[in-house]
Amino acid sequence: MNLLWVVLLPLIGTLVPLLTERFGRNVCAFSVALLPAWSLILVLMHVGEIFDGEAIRQTIEWIPSMGLDLSFRLDGLSLLFLLLILGIGLLIILYARYYLSDKDSMGQFYAYLILFMSAMVGIVISNNMIQLWMFWELTSISSFLLISFWSHKPDARKGARMALTVTGTGGLALLAGLLLLGNIVGSYDLDTVLASGDLIRAHAAYPIALVLVLLGAFTKSAQFPFHFWLPHAMAAPTPVSAYLHSATMVKAGIFLLCRFYPALAGTDLWFMIVSLTGLITLLLGAYIALFKHDLKGLLAYSTISHLGLITLLLGLNSDLAAVAAVFHIINHATFKASLFMAAGIIDHETGSRDMRKLNGLMKYMPHTATLAIVAALSMAGVPLLNGFLSKEMFFAETLDQSMLGSLSWMIPLLATVGAAFSVAYSLRFIHDVFFNGEPIDLPKTPHEPPRYMKVPVEILVALCLAVGIFPAYLVGDLLHAAAFSVLANDVPMHSLSIWHGFNIPLFMSFLAMVGGITIYYNRRHLFEFQAQFNEPDAKYIFEGAVQSLIKFTQRIMATLENGSLQRYVFLMLLFTLVMSAYPLFELTQNAGSRPQLPIDGVAITAALLLIISAIATVIWHRRRFLSLIYLSVVGLIVSLAFAKFSAPDLALTQLSVEIVTIILLLLALYFLPQSTQKESSNRRLSIDLTVSALIGCVIGTICFAMLTTPLNSISDFFIANSKTGGGGTNVVNVILVDFRGFDTLGEITVLGIAALGIFKLIAKMRIYVPTRDDKGRPWTKDRHPLMLAMVSQSLLPLALLVSVYIFLRGHNLPGGGFIAGLITSVAIIQQYVANGVLWIKPRIKVDYQWLIASGILMATATGLGSWIFDKPFLSTWFDHFHLPWVGEFELASAMIFDLGVYLTVVGAVLLILANLGKLTTSERVDNKENV
Amino acid sequence: MEFWIELVVSVFLVAGAVFVFIGSLGLAKLPDFYTRLHAPTKATTLGMGGLLAASAILMTYQQGHLSLHELLITLFLLITAPVTAHMLAKTAMHHKLQITEKTVDKELSKRARERNTPT
Amino acid sequence: MLNTAITIATTLVCISLILNLWRLFKGPSRPDRILALDTMYINSIALIILFGIASGTALYFEAALLIAMLGFVSTAAMCKYILRGDLIE
Repeated sequence: MNLLWVVLLPLIGTLVPLLTERFGRNVCAFSVALLPAWSLILVLMHVGEIFDGEAIRQTIEWIPSMGLDLSFRLDGLSLLFLLLILGIGLLIILYARYYLSDKDSMGQFYAYLILFMSAMVGIVISNNMIQLWMFWELTSISSFLLISFWSHKPDARKGARMALTVTGTGGLALLAGLLLLGNIVGSYDLDTVLASGDLIRAHAAYPIALVLVLLGAFTKSAQFPFHFWLPHAMAAPTPVSAYLHSATMVKAGIFLLCRFYPALAGTDLWFMIVSLTGLITLLLGAYIALFKHDLKGLLAYSTISHLGLITLLLGLNSDLAAVAAVFHIINHATFKASLFMAAGIIDHETGSRDMRKLNGLMKYMPHTATLAIVAALSMAGVPLLNGFLSKEMFFAETLDQSMLGSLSWMIPLLATVGAAFSVAYSLRFIHDVFFNGEPIDLPKTPHEPPRYMKVPVEILVALCLAVGIFPAYLVGDLLHAAAFSVLANDVPMHSLSIWHGFNIPLFMSFLAMVGGITIYYNRRHLFEFQAQFNEPDAKYIFEGAVQSLIKFTQRIMATLENGSLQRYVFLMLLFTLVMSAYPLFELTQNAGSRPQLPIDGVAITAALLLIISAIATVIWHRRRFLSLIYLSVVGLIVSLAFAKFSAPDLALTQLSVEIVTIILLLLALYFLPQSTQKESSNRRLSIDLTVSALIGCVIGTICFAMLTTPLNSISDFFIANSKTGGGGTNVVNVILVDFRGFDTLGEITVLGIAALGIFKLIAKMRIYVPTRDDKGRPWTKDRHPLMLAMVSQSLLPLALLVSVYIFLRGHNLPGGGFIAGLITSVAIIQQYVANGVLWIKPRIKVDYQWLIASGILMATATGLGSWIFDKPFLSTWFDHFHLPWVGEFELASAMIFDLGVYLTVVGAVLLILANLGKLTTSERVDNKENV
Repeated sequence: MEFWIELVVSVFLVAGAVFVFIGSLGLAKLPDFYTRLHAPTKATTLGMGGLLAASAILMTYQQGHLSLHELLITLFLLITAPVTAHMLAKTAMHHKLQITEKTVDKELSKRARERNTPT
Repeated sequence: MLNTAITIATTLVCISLILNLWRLFKGPSRPDRILALDTMYINSIALIILFGIASGTALYFEAALLIAMLGFVSTAAMCKYILRGDLIE
């Protein structure tokens, strides 16, 4: 069989309700149940093998080169949980069909529910820790959606957020823990990890890994002190509570404890944390449950208490206790799910969940009442019901430990106290709701629910009874198989019978019964006692904590990220200074062994110009236009330097980028004040100056050291292979379109995205358009000086010719698509400047966005083309041809790629510049006068 | 290299450079913007012609075939220099830059400026 | 002889560049500065051509051509900016 399908079928099933919702409620519910049922059948087909002690594994290669596989395993524990998840899930589907009202979106509900179901299935059959964690997180998210299903209720939203925050935080801790475990073992494979228990327990990082994993488990299973989210999650529709908060989601934490039992358990640390947490949770949950007036609230705290019981058992480090824990997982799931459903029926048919109003329902809904009473008795641990059996085992185990030394006797005592409270709240559930007089102003007159709404409850209650009477016959094998995979070795002898003779556990049960009845009869005193305390509302505490966390982060953000660009640059430079200056202290010799070039007059002149203009740009930065002119000089000199030091490609690129930048800045400058006030204090200025001077010195030193040191760079490889491998003699271009073609593809994509982003940003922008320049002179009315317009037009073909020339020769001589694209853009922008948008519009009918898209597509298609020839992405092809008249010429697929680059660059530059320019066209008052 | 080619190239080079220099000197020394405008746009352009001619001759000689690159640059410069000058003159008029005292026929420039002034 | 001529020419162009920077500094008006920048562009072409002659290669020709072309665009754009404020309308 295919284990993948076990999880895949429900996952596909997530979509089913969305499609079938329109065909009515019955069809929808039925179709939803189909795929999980199929999945359940797939599982059941393998029960025999599992009971024989086998584990079924399946691994599907996903990304083999990274060691990522989809890995599944089905063993006894997984089987047990799968039966709970899928079996109870199917009952919930039936139940929800009648529970949901016409106003609720059934398809949505089922979709969330099935998504959650798939996530749970994924957790229990994962054989890889990371994969398990992914499903774990998916349960957090889908349970968030389910709890907040009635999103119009503030309680539902808050409860859902709380659950997500708590379980999500735990999920992060779990991830850290799993990564740590993977690190210790050297594998994320669960089989390997579980087999390396000794290695893990001996490792120094074991305590940390243990605590992290336990954090994940405890938050999910609502263990103290993370229990507070569960009662608030009761704002969810009852089917959700019955499913998530009795049988599945909260059991995921327990599952995790069971799953990692062979790897993590068996140490004192495990005992201390797990059993004490469980004990506290058990007592706290049982105690609070008694005081809840809300039916579901009572059940929620009871769930917390029972989860604590299971945790306590797992923490005892005894094999028999683990068996008892597994047994109680089954029992708790059955009686608690049926109780939740019964509570849902009561809520549904009476309109209230308040036990102060709900009284004497036995008369109105005898059938439901009987079912609920049986389930509640099972919860109390009454003999002949399944709850009794596991509770007996629990008592026996608490007696059989000595971990707390001379204080060990306290554990059975406290366990009995907890059980007494458990009896008390079960009694309250039975007595307060079904007897105790008449109902008090209920919104609806109580009556029995629809027939089929009771079916799931009946099935579960029947199970409670059957397991309680014939335990060994019904669940013996399952329990054995599950315990076998928890313990990862032979299961100790245990007897699943009702009668073990008169022994201490029986006596403890008896004590708990008597104690529980006593507590319930004297509940008035206890309620009065409890009323003295101001019960803290977890919601307010939680919200307060979240708010203060937000305030705290806001304070940090306000200090670090206050919107001042100067500050960011300052911090960044300071950081760079510290990081880069320190290693320089150890560098004693600046100058390397490379011979230095002689200094000539041209170099001195250029350096002089560069330095002076750079300083002038800074000094006059408040007079923006002037500063821009100096900046142009800097750019010019830099490109001259590139030319001089044998980098003609760079020189060409620098020049064209320079001009595009100037035009862009001029366009922006129009909307900005021409000069700005002095805004920095002198102190600030001196600090900034010092830092930038220091940075200059450091960077200068690094540059000098690097330039004078002979380096064995990879450039030799490119120079040697450019002609033979890429078919071009211009190494720079061959690197761009061939060796590093993938980089270039990424870069032009980024360029395209940036251009589109800018376009969308400025598309709807309305900004102040100055009518006069900074000296108050009105603008001239001559919009397009005739001479400029005419000459620009006649220069256009010449400029395009140059760009074609530069493009074509790019593969062998300086040039290429990028530079050619910039030249073309500048030539067209010149037409915009000289002739205006209106003149261009009918002449260039190209949508620049399309240009970008086609450019990127063309480059990508060239890359994909190599797949046709069974070559890796972006392999280039070139060959030399001979044609009469033309002579020998070369064709290379890289040229098409380069054409894509060209188109993208042209499209991006024009999209940005032309649209920035167009901003004003419709806005200018003086235009309207003239046109 | 044959002597006469070297000679011709050298003469073109030096002459061109001198004109380029004169243009820049004029830009630095002349008294007002309108006079300054003349120097680079005329002298320097001419000087560039000289330099480019020198380059063209030398390259033609060295490569053995006619070097037309320089012609393209010359063409560009010759077309663009007057437009640049024109645009700059327009901006100067727009900014109402002062003319020097020594300029003759002030009447003409005054009339031109009045015509250009927006009402 | 050619080398001497190249040296003389290069020196002259370098001095020219410095003179241009001087004008750029001095101003006093914006058109003055733009004119100085434009002259710098042209002098850079001269420098590149001289460099090409000195090294005997045509590899730098495109740079010169591009400065000639783009320098004009830049100057025209700056003039348009002063005249109209808005480059593209």
